[in-house]
Parts: sequence; C-alpha cells; structure tokens
Amino acid sequence: MEEEKKNNDPISRKKFLRMCGTAVAGTALLGVSAVALKRLADKEADYFWQIDPKKCTFCGRCETDCVLPISAVKCVHALRVCGYCDLCGGYYRTNVKDLNTAAENMRCPTGAIKRSYVEDPYFEYTIEESICNGCGKCAKGCNSFGNGSLYLQVKQDLCTNCNECKISRVCPSGAIRRVPYAMAYMLKDD
Amino acid sequence: MIIAQNRFPKPDFESGYEYPFFSYQIPNETAWVVFDLVMLVLLMSIVAWAVIKRRKRKPVFWVSIVSVAYFGFFRTGCVCSIGAIQNVALALVDSSYAMPLVVLLFFVLPVLFTLLFGRVFCAGVCPFGALQELVNIKSYRLPRSVTAVLEMLPWIYLILAILFAVTRSSFIICRFDPFIGIFRLGGDIGMITVGALLLIAAVFTGRPFCRFLCPYGALLSLFSRVSIRKIKITPTCINCDLCQRACPLDAIRPPYENKVKESRVQGVKRIIIYMVVLPLMALAGAFLLQQMSGSLSRVNKNVHLYDLVVKYEQNPQDVQPLEVEVFYAQGGTLEELTGRVEKIFAEFKTASAVAGALIGLVIGFTLIGLSLKRTRKTYEIDDAACVNCGRCFSYCPQNHIIS
Repeated sequence: MEEEKKNNDPISRKKFLRMCGTAVAGTALLGVSAVALKRLADKEADYFWQIDPKKCTFCGRCETDCVLPISAVKCVHALRVCGYCDLCGGYYRTNVKDLNTAAENMRCPTGAIKRSYVEDPYFEYTIEESICNGCGKCAKGCNSFGNGSLYLQVKQDLCTNCNECKISRVCPSGAIRRVPYAMAYMLKDD
Repeated sequence: MIIAQNRFPKPDFESGYEYPFFSYQIPNETAWVVFDLVMLVLLMSIVAWAVIKRRKRKPVFWVSIVSVAYFGFFRTGCVCSIGAIQNVALALVDSSYAMPLVVLLFFVLPVLFTLLFGRVFCAGVCPFGALQELVNIKSYRLPRSVTAVLEMLPWIYLILAILFAVTRSSFIICRFDPFIGIFRLGGDIGMITVGALLLIAAVFTGRPFCRFLCPYGALLSLFSRVSIRKIKITPTCINCDLCQRACPLDAIRPPYENKVKESRVQGVKRIIIYMVVLPLMALAGAFLLQQMSGSLSRVNKNVHLYDLVVKYEQNPQDVQPLEVEVFYAQGGTLEELTGRVEKIFAEFKTASAVAGALIGLVIGFTLIGLSLKRTRKTYEIDDAACVNCGRCFSYCPQNHIIS
C-alpha cells in the first residue's frame, strides 16, 4: 500500500522523467559530437573562399555583392604574365581616341591602376589595392585584348570568411568556392 | 565568354628591370580562434558561477558588455553558435562536407553548458542576446496568446534552416542575420533595419529575437528543461510576486490552482486524444510541406539556374540572363542540368516531408502545452524560457538568505 503511494507521488515521477531527459539529452549531445568529430578528422577542411581565375567571367558582381562596404575581392596583377603593352586593354577603355591618361579614357572607375614607364615600349602596371573595388572591368579588358594578367582574387586579409559567401550565391560561373589552405590564393604567377 | 590567352610575348627587358615581388599573406587565425574558445568557456563559467552560486546579476551584466564588445564588434559576430547549427547538420548528413573544429566546438560547448547549468550561453555570452539585454529598459508583458504563437517561430526557423542546410541550398541563418550588420557597422540595409527594429522592440520587451526568432535558443531550451543545475526560486519564498514582474522573458509562473478535478478515465481519454492528434498533425505537416517542396527548392542555386534556362529555352528571343550565358559557355546542356536538378527535387521532397512532420509536431506540442493546466503550489521557473539573465535576484526580498 505504501509503495503504491510512493509511485503516485508526482514529485518523484517528475524527477524521474527529468533524469531520463537529462540522460537522453546527454547521449544525443555525445552522439552528435562523436559523429561530427569523425567527419572532422577525415581531411583538411576547405576553409577559404577564393575565385578560380579560370572560371571567372568578370561579371562585376564581386563589387556589388560582398557583405563588406568595399568588397574583399581585389584585382591582382600577374606581372610575369603581363605583356607590358602601351595600349593596355585593362588600362584604357576600348576605342579611345587619344592615348592619354585623361579620366574619360581610363578603364578603372576608381583610378586604382597606376602605370609607370619601364623602357621603350614597355609600361609596368600596378594595382593600388586600397582604391580597388573589385569591379573586374580591367580584368575583363585584359582578358579580352591582352594576356589576362589582371584577374580577381579574394584578399584573405580582408575577407570575413562568411559561412556562406554572399558573392558565391550570385556568381554566374561558380568560380567562387571554398578551398583548402594550399589553394587560398590561386595566383597566375606561380 | 572571355577566355584568357597569351596574346603578347613576355617582354625582354634591356634596362635591367626586375619583377617586383608581392606577397600574399594568408592571415593565421589560429591564435584568435583559440582565444575565442577560451573566452566562450570563461564567460559561460562566469555566468554559471554568478547565477547559480552567487545569485547576482552584476557579473552577468559585465559579461554582456564584454561579449558585445569582443564577440560582437571586435570579432564581428563570426563564428557564431547560431549559425553553427547549419554546419553541424550538414556535416551529419553529408560525409563529403568538412567542418572546421572551431565550428563544432562553438556548437557543442554552449549545449554542454546548458545541459549542466541552464541557458548560461544565452544569458550574456551570446552577443545577440547580450545586446538586446543591454538596451532593455522596461519589459512590457505581451499577452499569452501572442507569445504562444510567436514562440513557435524559432522552431520553424530551426527546422527550415536545417532543411536548407542539409540540401546544400543555403545557410539562411547567416543570410538573414539581423545583428551582424550592426556589429560590422555596415552591410545589407534591409537586415540592418530589421536588426534596428528588433533592438527598438527590445527596449520595451525582453529579448524579442531570442524569444521569437533564435533557432539556437529553441534548441537550447530543450536542453535547459533537463539541465542538471539550474536557478531555483528562493526556498523561503514569501509569494511577493516581485520576481515574476521583474522577469523580462515571462519565465516565472505564479502559483495556480487547477480547480477542475479530472477523473482517471478522463485523463486516459485525454492522453489517447493526444496520441491520435499528434501523428495527425505530423502527417498533415508532412503533406503540406511536401506539396510546397517545389517552391522551397527554388532556394537552391542549381534549381534557380534550371528555371532560368528553361525560361530562356521557351523564349529564345529574350535577352539571355548572365547565368544562362555562362551556363551555355561552360558547355552545359539542359539534359545534364535536368538530371542534376531532379536529384535535388527528390531530395527536397523527402527532406521537406520530414521538416513538415516536425513542424506539425511543434504545433501539436504547443497546443498540448496550452491545454495543460498544472497546479503550482509556489512560484516556478519555466526552465525552457529562463535565460539566466539574473534580473529577478535583486528583486527578491529573500535572496540574501541563500546568497
């Protein structure tokens, strides 16, 4: 009789259920972490977002779709690929009348491409990264008319490494994706 | 499509020009990541100690400030435990997905602490909760009918987030994060507006995001129900009602006497009704969401592309969207894409049925919870809702006795 009374005691029943719940929750937590840990150990994690220059179409969405106020994507110049031309497809707009540095002739909307005279007929082009907005207009020009030495890369020191890169969602060619440490930069020089 | 070619030969310099050297550094984040984890554990331990051992709010308040400053503005809110749900869910179903260890730890540690001490992570370690806590001035109580409906939202959000994560479609928690723009001082204007509105709401009512949106809070509330140590009402309670009024989350329930005496037969009947209604709700949910799986799958990038290509092939005279242009240039064909997309459709069909069943269960359990009227002899803390903010302590006239 007394035992039956004990069984009906609501407090102890509640306590018992709670203990069961704790056990179930603990096991679930352990199980999930065990399975997830197994997945971790398997291989090197793809951790950096990077643009594959072979796939990039210079659509200009890197400039507009990065979560940062000024995109973490910047133009990179592979000097060993560059032809050092005077008439540079990345520097001048197409069909310019006079080859001078007047603003209406410039391809770069922010004036981030600096050029310096090396020797006749070669000019060296460098990108001033702090001004570059990653629009890719110069890269498009260079890839259409030149050697393709100007191309876009995600600067890893600027990239906030979002869980899901906002640019990768709109990239039309699937050029931007997660890559392992060894591929954190896909440079054309190497 | 533009393809890079070597159109001009490499120049032979005669003036002794040397190629300048550029170094591309990859930032080494390891030290910061370790420090993040140390901070996470340290702050959660401080909250647990302050709330359970000392029964004081002050340390929790300082933890909130540190968390908003460090995790929020300095580390700009990433990695966050809320978003880590998606990575863990994806890693569990997709063996090809490799997840960084820090993401797993950011997911597991707060859950572990919740199982031990209640929602100490929510109290002030989560920068989102801390930010809302810090701006909260007055807590106007929302009517029960409203909160009951709104409290289902985090569960639905959680289920949908997992659905989109496991189908490799999108990480919606990260995309629609209302506070990240505030922490980064810039970003998507729409989301910043939502964040600002939530913060304004947080001034007048306790933590609207945590209560009515946060999917991780929903998950933690499950664990905090069965946590091993938790805040208790002062044993020498004098039924003064002050703590209940002070609670910004409406997590303290006053004594209540259920005068309706239910016979054993009635109780059994009620349980049988629940047993019938719950599976029915789950089935209905599964059916409804499966019907919607087509539109849900549009979130997936491949399905979106498929739609564009199909639309273009029907009207080839239209302007080719950029995506379609690149798709053809890369040698894609509609047949190959259809094959890929059909697999995604099938995946979405099963996944959304499961998600729908779960949503049905959430609604079912909420209804059951509303229909149950338990007798409470004393003030009781709703462990699922309590976030251990500690606001009630200073209001309790008897708190000094055990502190």
